[in-house]
Amino acid sequence: MKIIIIGAGEVGFNIAQRLSEENHDVVVIDKDQNKINHLQTVIDVQAIVGSGTNPSILQEAGINESDIIVAATDSDEVNLIACFYAQYLTEYITKIARVRNSGYTEHSDMFKTDFLNIDLIINPQSEMVSSMLKLMEVPEASEVLDFVNGKVKLIGVTVKEDSPLVGRKLSSFQDVEQVLLVGVIIRGEEVIIPSGQDVIQPNDLLYCVTRKEEISTIFRLLNIREAGLGRVVIVGGGTTGLALATSLDKTNINTKIIEKDSQRCLELAEKLEKVVVLNGDGTDRDFLVEENIADVDLMVVITGDEETNVLISLLGKALGAKKTVTRIGKLSYIPLVSTIGIDTVVSPRLSAIRAILQYIRKGKVVCVAPLKSEAAEVIEFEALETSDIVNTPLSEVKFPREAIVGAIVRGEEIIIPRGHNMIKPHDHLIIFALKGAIPKLEKLFTVKLEYF
Amino acid sequence: MRLRQILRLIGILNFFLGLFMLAPLVVSLIYSDGSFLPILYSFIITSGGGLVLFVATSTADYTALSQREGMAIVTFGWLSAGFFGSLPFLFSGSIGSLTNSFFESLSGFTTTGASILNNIESLPQGVLFWRSLTQWLGGMGIIVFSIAILPFLGVGGMQLYKAEIPSPVVDKLQPRISETAKTLWKVYLLITVIEIGLLFIGGMPLFDSICHTFCTMPTGGFSTHGSSIAYFDSAYFEGVITVFMVLAGVNFALHFKFLKGDFRVFGRDPECRIFLLILAALILLVTVNIYGTVYESIAGAFRRAAFQVTSIITTTGFVTSDYERWPASSQIILFLCMFIGAMAGSTGGAIKIMRIVLLVKYGFREIFRLVHPHAVRSIRLGGKPVPEEVLNSISGFFILYLGLYVLAVLIMSFLGLDVMTSLGSVAATIGNVGPGFGLVGPAKNYVSVPDLGKWALTLCMLLGRLEIYTVIIMLAPAYWRK
Repeated sequence: MKIIIIGAGEVGFNIAQRLSEENHDVVVIDKDQNKINHLQTVIDVQAIVGSGTNPSILQEAGINESDIIVAATDSDEVNLIACFYAQYLTEYITKIARVRNSGYTEHSDMFKTDFLNIDLIINPQSEMVSSMLKLMEVPEASEVLDFVNGKVKLIGVTVKEDSPLVGRKLSSFQDVEQVLLVGVIIRGEEVIIPSGQDVIQPNDLLYCVTRKEEISTIFRLLNIREAGLGRVVIVGGGTTGLALATSLDKTNINTKIIEKDSQRCLELAEKLEKVVVLNGDGTDRDFLVEENIADVDLMVVITGDEETNVLISLLGKALGAKKTVTRIGKLSYIPLVSTIGIDTVVSPRLSAIRAILQYIRKGKVVCVAPLKSEAAEVIEFEALETSDIVNTPLSEVKFPREAIVGAIVRGEEIIIPRGHNMIKPHDHLIIFALKGAIPKLEKLFTVKLEYF
Repeated sequence: MRLRQILRLIGILNFFLGLFMLAPLVVSLIYSDGSFLPILYSFIITSGGGLVLFVATSTADYTALSQREGMAIVTFGWLSAGFFGSLPFLFSGSIGSLTNSFFESLSGFTTTGASILNNIESLPQGVLFWRSLTQWLGGMGIIVFSIAILPFLGVGGMQLYKAEIPSPVVDKLQPRISETAKTLWKVYLLITVIEIGLLFIGGMPLFDSICHTFCTMPTGGFSTHGSSIAYFDSAYFEGVITVFMVLAGVNFALHFKFLKGDFRVFGRDPECRIFLLILAALILLVTVNIYGTVYESIAGAFRRAAFQVTSIITTTGFVTSDYERWPASSQIILFLCMFIGAMAGSTGGAIKIMRIVLLVKYGFREIFRLVHPHAVRSIRLGGKPVPEEVLNSISGFFILYLGLYVLAVLIMSFLGLDVMTSLGSVAATIGNVGPGFGLVGPAKNYVSVPDLGKWALTLCMLLGRLEIYTVIIMLAPAYWRK
């Protein structure tokens, strides 16, 4: 497929890199000569200096032969105008726009169906809020992703030192194999697709798939006490903070929101009913102690300044908060944060990248989620009748070494597979894979991505 | 700098280079000219050596080549191509010494076309074919060829591409670098086939048609005859070759766009317009100058002038007349042509029209600034502003080009060559032209240059072909520091 990406910022860059690695033809347009120069030395894409809102630049980029246009600049207006021109130049192109202003997204129908025919509007912030809410359903996990409409959950959990699993080989998990499958182990900065011989070590981050009902079994195995979510503190009352607090306002969770700006606090208080609005500085230790941070189950730190977010989270942890969720914008920081003791990271950019990639790769690939470190992915494939892999025992399928089947979903049934299990047509498979294995997997599933 | 990666890619390169030797092998079979075994040995050594290097470094991964590594691969890859490419000359006994063989081989790959052969016609056809083929391969770039068929190079391919086709602005025609390389080669191949056809239809023997086309398209200039194109004495052949020399001197990106249906692209491109304008003006000047003084008829003068000016400015180096017998002003024009060169992104050498145009504009801007000290003004080419860093890089290139020229001329003169030979030989080799002036003039060749001088000129050819930076950076101590 040929894909045009407007904006070589972090979002555009990462999408371009992924798609180029997956053998799509990518053209990137950006106004900044320096960004374009850098881009060209790092990824194999065609890069054009110019404005995405200039029809002749779009034509130079070959919009007439393109399948998808992704408008991912920092400016909503530029993105929308780019889609407008794209619609004008080629009627049937798929258009994806990143739109952040909630004023626009509230009326997204206008852009989607009535007027611009934008196929997908990504609001990174609301993507981020929904991933935080998902996380709150399973607060013990550092990451939660839904597959097959939420029936299968992918959870990321950190192994504690006192966990009974520490020191055990994966092959010895006879007792749990019907329940869980460890798909990826993240140890420091290393990403492992495990075989039976791998041994679990303390502080490993395990990504496992499991049925929704069995999450508590897993936590029991890992010796993690499920406490449920009693108290939540949100630091940062910006739009994200407000959106999150509004959702929590409807639940029974005891929620507080901390905001520095007193004027903003008034606004928050007007909009929120049960949530307690506190006017104070999240970096103020005494203030946090006074608000009893030690009893908090979850501390969500989402101020606009990412360095401050990291520090507040560390402070909160030191004061006894059980778990923190930290907003970090810069993607290059994300692999570092777990080593300094931050539990979970949310990033509007990562959310946007995920959502866009998921959409682009749709087709027989039902759902894709890059994992925390970006080196591995979880993919939901549908097995086609024509594919080589159906009706053969899994142990005989020539799977790439860097990939592992995490779950087979057959109708209502969810199978955590072993070597003897067979894949039947129309099964949904949830597969863990390192980045390099994805093209091989696609071939294996004869999933031609030229779906459009 | 990862030595393994570099050696591995040079290994692949040699392997492909060896495969190309199969073509002259077939030719030598057809003509049974006695060069079969020498070429076979060359093939085995080149491809075999490449394969051994490739296998021995199999643990290397080449996905993320750095710019430095790219430059090393290209420079050393070209040197090794020069060496292995000289084996057929050496083994067949066509050229005696290693110095001469290497000179001839690298002169081929760099599309210079400077020869040390006194009696070209006596060479076996197989060797002659190889000699022409080196030019054809060098024109579009042996490394670009590898990029085209080795998709796994990915971004690494971009580094190699930039090092081998160093144009002021990199034109990526397709989203993928391997596709871009493939596209360029396809366009190159297409125009090559057309020229072979036109020459053959006109009555040139097939072997000569192929060999001369192989030396026109890369703006090379080797001929299978001692007297070059003058041997045929045919206005038709000269006309066809002149047209294709101009085509070879045009940016191949424009050919690509033309073939895609954008028929007005040549007229719209500012560099192309200036190139054609300069070419027409110089042909006119030389015609007027040699009409009456050397040639009796205006048609005869025009025919010689058009061919010779085109041949020199596109840095091809074919000869139809001994221009050293022309009036001094015509000789000076040809001498200057050796510096101007053709368009950026073409197969031609020398400084190139785009750089000259931008340098002139740069100069005028300085004058403008003296008048308006506070003026902020960007230099434009065809309505598009040119980034300052491109201008800086061009000024640097110009200074290095002239500096190296002067240095090499000094070396040549200290080796005992006369003024015209020293000035001409270096201009003709660093510009990848071929025939120079004096002892290395159009009616003579480079065999009389002392060995040391030949090595210096060989280096000039490589510097010129890879546009200075890629090669000269190897001499910078900072490059080798970790």
